[in-house]
Amino acid sequence: MVAVKAHELRNKNKAELVKILDEQKQALANIRVQKVAGGKTQEIGEARKNVARVLTVINQTQREQLRLFYQKKAFTPLDLRVKKTRAMRRALTPFEKSKKTVRELKKLAHFPLRKYAVKA
Amino acid sequence: SQNKALAAKKAALKGVHGKAVRKIRTSTHFHIPKTLVLNRAPKYARKSIAHAPRMDQYRVIRQPLNTETAMKKIEEHNTLTFLVDVKSNKNQIKDAVKRLYDVEAAQVNTLIRPDGYKKAFVRLTADVDALDVANKIGFI
Repeated sequence: MVAVKAHELRNKNKAELVKILDEQKQALANIRVQKVAGGKTQEIGEARKNVARVLTVINQTQREQLRLFYQKKAFTPLDLRVKKTRAMRRALTPFEKSKKTVRELKKLAHFPLRKYAVKA
Repeated sequence: SQNKALAAKKAALKGVHGKAVRKIRTSTHFHIPKTLVLNRAPKYARKSIAHAPRMDQYRVIRQPLNTETAMKKIEEHNTLTFLVDVKSNKNQIKDAVKRLYDVEAAQVNTLIRPDGYKKAFVRLTADVDALDVANKIGFI
């Protein structure tokens, strides 16, 4: 069983990857049949991981392309947005937190924190 | 001129909405009136990528069976026996067999084994020999 390499897969385009995925799934199905017939079962692990690798590359490149596409847009799909936690997503932005009232600004202007030194 | 003034005052006090039309009710029951219903025009897709079909032929058919009773079925009744995904239905099994092995299924019977797996008996059409197909698949 030849192990598929992810870095080789990343050069391919979508149509080829879909074809390779089908081939790998076919290979996995064949190994399952061989297992029933009493053949080699050691390759099954490798076959499963190959399928996983192809799917990972397909999905990763798809999402990456979509993120580029949505970069300039106002609204992005929910699964491309930052996840963090629910509370953090609803918290004030750093700019909003930094806003001060006129009263506070005046206070800061009139009574700044003074630096002084004590003469030895 | 005074008549004109009086008429104007009367009109001003009466207002513009003098003629109120009452709807004619032909039934004693009140049904909610039909209002405008707009179609959806989302500003963004909720899911970025639509998922590929999850129950594809590789997921449906897990493995063929070559037990003694399964072999009997192949020889006598022209049927293949498979372990299939529990969530698959007969139509999906028929379709999967067609896609994987290029054979038409005349009939599919299923049962769920006590250990949780679904077993499918796929009777092939009369023009195909189950033994040949089994040899081709490779599990004899």
